[in-house]
Amino acid sequence: MSIRFQVGVKSVAAVGLSLLLLTGLACSSKEEAKPAEAVIGVSLLNLSSEFIVMISESMEQRAGELGVELIITDAQRNAEKQVQQVESFIAQGVDAIILNPCEVEGSSPAVARAHEAGIPIVNVNSETRIEPSAFVGSHDEESARLAMEFIVQRLGGNGNVVMMHGYMGQAAQIKRAQGAREVLEANPGIRLLSEQTAEWDRAKAMALMENWIQSYGDQINAVFAHNDEMGMGALIALEQAGLKDRIIVASVDAIADALGAVSEGRLDATVFQDSVGQGRTAVETALKLSRGEGCEPEVYIPFQLVTLENIDQFR
Amino acid sequence: MRSDVRTTEEVESFLRIRGLTKAFPGVRALDDVDLDLKPGEVHVLIGENGAGKSTLMKLVAGLECPDSGEISKQGRVLRMRNPHDAIRLGIAMIHQELMPFRQMTVAENILIGQEPVQFGVWIDRKGLLQGAARVLGRLKCAISPERLLGELSLAEMQLVEIARALAQDADVIVMDEPTSSLSKTEVAALFEVIRDLQQRGATILYTSHKMEEVFEIGDRVTVLRDGRRVTTLKVDDASEEELIQAMVGRELTLVSSRAKGRGAGPLLTVHNLSRKGGFEKLSFQVNAGEILGFAGLMGAGRTAVVNALFGLEPADRGEIQIGDRRLRIRCPQDAIRHGIGLVSEDRRRLGLVPQMSVRSNLTLANLKAYSRRGFVDVAAESRITAEQVHSLGIKSAGQEQPVAFLSGGNQQKVVLSRMLLICPSVLLLDEPTRGIDVGAKSEIHGLIRKLASDGLGVLLVSSELPELLALSDRLLVMRNGRLVAELDPERTSQEEVMGHAMLR
Amino acid sequence: MQPGQASRLAEWISRYGLLLALVLLAGLLSCLTPNFATAQNLLIVLRQISINGILAVGVTYVLLTGGVDLSLGSVVALTGVVAAGFAHPGEYPVILAVLVGILAGSGCGLVNGLIVTRGKVAPFIVTLGMLTVARGLALVVSGGRPVSNLSSSFTVLGGGAIIGIPIPVLILCVVAFASHVFLKRTRPGRYIYAVGGNEAAAYASGINVTAVKTLAYAVCGGLAGLAGIVLAARITTGQPNAGIAYELDAIAAAVIGGTSLSGGVGGIVGTLLGALLMGVLNNGLDLMNVSSYWQQIVKGLIIVGAVWFDQKGRR
Repeated sequence: MSIRFQVGVKSVAAVGLSLLLLTGLACSSKEEAKPAEAVIGVSLLNLSSEFIVMISESMEQRAGELGVELIITDAQRNAEKQVQQVESFIAQGVDAIILNPCEVEGSSPAVARAHEAGIPIVNVNSETRIEPSAFVGSHDEESARLAMEFIVQRLGGNGNVVMMHGYMGQAAQIKRAQGAREVLEANPGIRLLSEQTAEWDRAKAMALMENWIQSYGDQINAVFAHNDEMGMGALIALEQAGLKDRIIVASVDAIADALGAVSEGRLDATVFQDSVGQGRTAVETALKLSRGEGCEPEVYIPFQLVTLENIDQFR
Repeated sequence: MRSDVRTTEEVESFLRIRGLTKAFPGVRALDDVDLDLKPGEVHVLIGENGAGKSTLMKLVAGLECPDSGEISKQGRVLRMRNPHDAIRLGIAMIHQELMPFRQMTVAENILIGQEPVQFGVWIDRKGLLQGAARVLGRLKCAISPERLLGELSLAEMQLVEIARALAQDADVIVMDEPTSSLSKTEVAALFEVIRDLQQRGATILYTSHKMEEVFEIGDRVTVLRDGRRVTTLKVDDASEEELIQAMVGRELTLVSSRAKGRGAGPLLTVHNLSRKGGFEKLSFQVNAGEILGFAGLMGAGRTAVVNALFGLEPADRGEIQIGDRRLRIRCPQDAIRHGIGLVSEDRRRLGLVPQMSVRSNLTLANLKAYSRRGFVDVAAESRITAEQVHSLGIKSAGQEQPVAFLSGGNQQKVVLSRMLLICPSVLLLDEPTRGIDVGAKSEIHGLIRKLASDGLGVLLVSSELPELLALSDRLLVMRNGRLVAELDPERTSQEEVMGHAMLR
Repeated sequence: MQPGQASRLAEWISRYGLLLALVLLAGLLSCLTPNFATAQNLLIVLRQISINGILAVGVTYVLLTGGVDLSLGSVVALTGVVAAGFAHPGEYPVILAVLVGILAGSGCGLVNGLIVTRGKVAPFIVTLGMLTVARGLALVVSGGRPVSNLSSSFTVLGGGAIIGIPIPVLILCVVAFASHVFLKRTRPGRYIYAVGGNEAAAYASGINVTAVKTLAYAVCGGLAGLAGIVLAARITTGQPNAGIAYELDAIAAAVIGGTSLSGGVGGIVGTLLGALLMGVLNNGLDLMNVSSYWQQIVKGLIIVGAVWFDQKGRR
C-alpha cells in the first residue's frame, strides 16, 4: 500500500470518527424542537468560573420562561475565540447576541461584526471599547468602593489596609483597584501597607496572606481582596494564625462560600453582584432588541454590600 | 629521473590522497594512506570489516575531517569541513545506508539544495520537474520525477541518489557498497549506469564485499587492511586468491590451545530458524563446553541470529531448544530466564546504563538474586561486585563510579560480567573485543576459554578471523542470511573462510 | 590555592552546589528582611512548598524514566473536586475521601503510562491530552463550581498541625522519605533509573520496561491526587480550576534539584532542595514587598541562575 493512500485512509477515518462523536453530542444535548420565539447566541467569558456559571444558568432559566432558544458558547478567556464565536452566530443568522466580553479591547471586534451584520448585541457584566446595542451589568469600580467604604467605616477612618489584586492587567482588576483607590484618597487616615497580586486564586492568596502576616503582623487592620476566592484564602490564613478577630476582611462577588462565611460571622463583608439579575435582564433586553422594541442603552444592575446584618436576603 | 616520474604521476592523478590518517577513540581507523585516482576510472576498495574503507570514503566525501594528510583534486588541495564543501568541489557520495527524504518527491530529492527559484522566493515547480527529468534522462532512467521517494524500490532510490550526485555536477562519485541491497538485474542496470558515467569522464571510488564485482566493474583495485593500504593493482593483473591473501594477510597473533572433545551433549539446538530480512532456515547446535564461532561479512546476518536467540528481534519461524526443552523466546526476559545471555556488539546502546555505577550495572540483569522482599540488599550486591571486579580484573575508581567513565575494555567486562551473573548455560558473544585495546582483548579471550572449559556453551560472533580461528572449536560461515559452510578451525585458513564469506 | 585543593573545592561545589545556592539566598534574605529567619516563617515556607513538593516528588519518578507529566495541575483539580465530594460533614469517613482522591489520581497516571508504553505515543502529547481531559472532568464532576462545605476532619489535612508542625509538611516528609527509599533501595526503584538511563540496555537486561514506566506514571498520578487532597483541604474547597500550571513549578523544582529531563539522573533530595529554593524565593520576595511584575522577573532569573550554577559545578 502506498504511503499516500495510508495517510488518506487514516485521515478519513479520523474525520469520520469525530463527526460521529459530534453528532452524538449534539443529539444528546438537543431536546425536542419547538419553534422558538427567538434564537440568541451567547458567548461567555469562561464557564469554569462560578460567577459566570450562575449568569449562564439564570439566562437559561429566563430563556425557558420566554420561549427563547439560547446557543451558549464558552470563550475560555480567549478574546480571539470569542470573536470567532460571534462570527459564527452571525453566519447562523441568530436574532440577537449576548456577549460576556473577555477583554475590553480584544473583544471589541465581536461587537463591530454584530453591528455590521445589523444584529443587536448586548454586553453583559463587562464592557468593550466599542459600544454595544445595550449594556447590562454593573460598574466594577462601585463594588470595590462599597467594600472599601465598609472597611473605612469599621476602622473609624484610621488604620492600615492591604489589598490583594486579581490577575494584573484584567479589566476587573484595574477597575476594582481604581474604585478602592478613590476611597483611599478620600480617607487620608487609611494607609495602604502593601498591595500584591494573588491572581484570583485561593491557594495563592493564602500564601500571600501568610507572608504578609510575617512582614507586618500586628500592623494590618484590614484586608481587601478583589474577589471572594482570594478573600476566603486570606480569611483562612488569618484564622490559622489566630488573627482573624483583630483584622477585617472584605471582598467582592458574593459566591456561595463567601456568603456562608459571612453568615457564620467569619468574613466581614462581601459585595453582591447580582448574577441572576444580570443574566435574566440580558435575555430580556436581547429579546426586546430582536423584536425591534427600544430599550435603555445601559441597564444598570446595582451592587449590594452583604454583611451579617442583611445576609438573610441573599441566601 | 625520479622527479620526472612523479610529474607524470601527478598529471595522471585526478584525485590525490597523501598521508591520510584518522583515529577514533581506541582505534586507528586509517593510518597514513596514499591513493591516486585517475580521471575516468572505477577504483574499487576492498578489505575486511574494519579495514578502513568506510572511513576513507567518509574523509573523501567530507563527512569526517582527517587528523592529518591531505586530499587534492587536479593539483588543488581541498579543504572540506562538511559534505557541503565536498559537493561544492564536485565530490558526491552514495551512501551504503541510503539517507534520502522519503516524504519528498523524486524531483525534490534530486535537486535538493539547488531548487530553481522564481522571484527569489517560490520554488519553481515546473522548472524543478523539468530539471529532474533532464538528469534522470541522462541516466536513461524511467522513474517519474513526481513520485514520492518512499514509494520506490531500493534500487530506484539508489538511482535517484546517483541522479542527485549528477545534478550536483559531481565528477568524483563515491559509492559505499551500492549493490548490497540490490537484486541481480538491478545490479546489472547499476553497472550500466556506472559505465555510462565513466564514459562521461566521472571518476568513481567504489567499495564492495563482492569479489565478482571487483572484476566486473573495476579498472584498478586497492586493498586496505588495518587502516593501511596494502596494495593497488590493475584488475586485469590481479587474481582472486591474491586479493584475498592481501586482505587477510596478517600474522596469527593467537595461539590456539583448545581442549577438545569434552563431548557433552548439545546444550542449545536450533532448527530451521528464520527471520524475515535477517536469516533463513538456520540449523545448528552448541554443545556444552564448546565455543562455536560464527564468521561472515557485515550484514551476513550473524548479529540477527544472536539477537533472535536472545529475544531482541525474535525469530519468525523455527525451533529453539535448550537440552530437550523447546522454548519460545519473545523478549530478553524469556532468554535470561532460560539461561541464555547476550553480550551485544552494540555496547553503547544495548549494554551500558552510562550514568549508573559499576555495581548497579553489574547486577542489573539479575537484581532479584541480590534483593530481599523487593529491597536491594546492598551488602550482598557489593560482595558480588567485589568478587566480579577481582575475577574479571575490572579497573575502576570504585564500585560507585559511573560506568561512562571506564575504558572500553572495562566497560565490556562490566557488560560481560552482568551476563555471567544470570548464571547462563549458553552465552552469546557478539564482537566481544571490538574497540578494545590489545591487553584487555587477550584478557577477554582467556575468559571466554575459561567459561567454555567450565561447561558453558559459547556462541562467538567476530569479524576478526584470527580471533575466531584461535578460539573456536567449530566454525560456521554465514553469507547473506544463510549458513554456507562448517569448518574445522584447525584445518582451515583465513583465505578459505573469506572465500566462503565473500559473495560470488 | 594548590591544585589538589582546587579540585576538592570543585567536587564539593558539584555535590552541594544547590545547597550552597539555597544557603546564600537564605542568608541574603535574612539580611534584607528581619522577618525571614524566624522559626515561624520557616514553618510557613515549608507549608507553602508542601503541595509543590509532593507534586515535584511525583514528577521526579516520571522524569527519571525519561518521560514528562504535564497533566499534574489538572489532576490536582480533578482529585481535589472528587475528594471534596466525599468530604462533606457526616457522610463518609475522611479516609475514604483520601483514598478516592489518590485512586482518581493514580487512575489518571495509569492511563498516561499505558498510552505512553503500549501506544508508543510521546509522553509530552499523552500528558498534554490528559491536562485537558482531567480539567474537563473536574468541571463536569463539580458542575463548574467549587465543592465546599467540607468536614473539619478533612480540612485539618491542609490546615492542621501536630506538635507545631503543619500536617501538609508532615505529609510531604513522609512522601519524600518513602520515595527516596523506594528509588534508591528497592528493585523497581533501581529499574526506574536503568530505564531512564538507557531504555534499550534495560530491556536487554530483561527488565520489563513497560511495567516500570507505567508504574512511574501511576505513582506520579497518585501523588498528584494526594497533592489535590491537601490543596482542597488547605483552601477548604474543591476547586475545578485550581492548580493551573502547577506542573511547571513541579518540573522546575525537580530540574533545579538536578533531575535530568532526559532521564536516569537525579533524586528526591535534589527535588526537595529545588522546591525549597522556589518556596524561599516566593516567600522572600513577598516579605520584601517586591512588586508583582518584578517578582516574576527575579524568580525566572534566579531559577535559571541556580541551574546554571549547579551545572557548572557538575562539569
